[in-house]
Amino acid sequence: MTTLLSFDNVSSYYGATQILRDFSFDLEKGQCVCVLGRNGVGKTTLMRTIMGLTDRSTGAIRINGEAIENKPPYQRAGYGIGYVPQGRGILSDFTVRENILLGTFARKDNAPDIPEICLRIFPYLRENLERRAGLLSGGQKQQLAIARALAVGPQVLLLDEPTEGIQPNIVHEIGEILRMLNKELGISLILTEQHIKVARKLGDVFMMVDNGRVVARGPISEMTDELVERHMTI
Amino acid sequence: MEFGSVLNALILGLSIASIWLIAALGLTIIYGAAGVINMAHGALIMLGAYSAYMLQHYVGVPYLLCIPASFVIVAVVGLILERGLIQYLYNRPLDTLLATYGVALVLVQGVRLIFGSDPKYLAVPEIFSSSFMIGSVSISTFRVIVLAVTALLVFGIWVLFYKTRFGVQVRAVMQNKEMAASFGINASRVYMLTFALGAGLAGVAGSLFGVLNIVLPTMGDSYVVQAFLMVVVGGGSLAGTIIASFASGELQSMFAFFTNDTFARFLIFVLIVVFLRFKPQGLFAKAGVRR
Repeated sequence: MTTLLSFDNVSSYYGATQILRDFSFDLEKGQCVCVLGRNGVGKTTLMRTIMGLTDRSTGAIRINGEAIENKPPYQRAGYGIGYVPQGRGILSDFTVRENILLGTFARKDNAPDIPEICLRIFPYLRENLERRAGLLSGGQKQQLAIARALAVGPQVLLLDEPTEGIQPNIVHEIGEILRMLNKELGISLILTEQHIKVARKLGDVFMMVDNGRVVARGPISEMTDELVERHMTI
Repeated sequence: MEFGSVLNALILGLSIASIWLIAALGLTIIYGAAGVINMAHGALIMLGAYSAYMLQHYVGVPYLLCIPASFVIVAVVGLILERGLIQYLYNRPLDTLLATYGVALVLVQGVRLIFGSDPKYLAVPEIFSSSFMIGSVSISTFRVIVLAVTALLVFGIWVLFYKTRFGVQVRAVMQNKEMAASFGINASRVYMLTFALGAGLAGVAGSLFGVLNIVLPTMGDSYVVQAFLMVVVGGGSLAGTIIASFASGELQSMFAFFTNDTFARFLIFVLIVVFLRFKPQGLFAKAGVRR
């Protein structure tokens, strides 16, 4: 296995407030890592640190061995990082098509068209390309956010609470799509998830985060109920 | 009341509207895309007029070529201004306001030092200084040129913003700078280019206003107030500015038809104040999140 993305003693800050503390991990190619923990422990900040969206970070961030910690955010997607942020980050004045096109701006090949895969796995989007994205339902927006991240042509997808606020039957559907992307297309996933069931189904490994640090990690099979109880119940 | 003279007033109103609009176009784009209140807009208009004057007077460039040339020259000035100053002041509206006001003072004084305070004139081909008749309505040819250039620019801006990849980038940055950056859009470059574009548009306006009026270092002052009113009434969007300009031009022309020009302008300004009292966000308030 080769390492795709790695954090080496990364700390990350908003203003003077430190959120991530000496955070280290390696993500293997094709792996799905589930990041778990209570609200406010730094899961979203982890994602934002990868994208370079926090005020400041220290330590080394590498993708395919190349250091990206000093790259501005707009250059990072070009390394094959597709970001699905918490709250989905859909541009509501844009049409569905324009939102997906946004994903293509980071591509190295400069392909101006929507990659076929984005529409193949989300038939609803294919049929509503000219619809204003602000009019979509929560689940549809989440599909759009994933399609947009796929348009980057990613090696890794960062999925921040992809099932948050989505009705249960769609949660299952999105879980299946993520599993397909991971297992069949070999796209690595970093996933923060409140649904333990989804995490267990998708994840290869887990990281339990508390107060900006990794407090437990290992294969997903070692994520015991006791561990979940200790770090995720309030 | 005679039908012909009302029609005349309406057509004149369209012409006035195109002047209101072309003065405000560059300001709208810079405010809409980058959120910068560019107090140097009037000075950039003035630079456009002086660019045309210089090219015509010293180089002998035909007037019609002076219009695009003014665009390029003032766009370059805008580019330098953005890279040298404005780019350090985004997210600080009050500071940009003061800084651009300072820039305006420098530009006006600089031009006064070089060219003096006496008025300059732009010569136009004979045919432009004539007027022609449609039925009973007499129209100055040059005002038709202004209208045509304005329409062309609006169309060009629309194509640029809605039909090109650059346009998608600009609108993405306007809605959500972070998401735009996360997908590979360099917001700093987008701001730089929109600022240059907005400045260039002021340059075009200047090259036209230099013919409608005399060319003076302070000529931008009156236009900048007018342009600001259109942007504020329009709510900061291109469509808003277009509608605000159209309404103001037609109303001014109609008021002038019944009273006189000075009183018409007075009435317009009063109406704008009253309008903003009840709709301070303007015609089309933007819903998107800026940065």
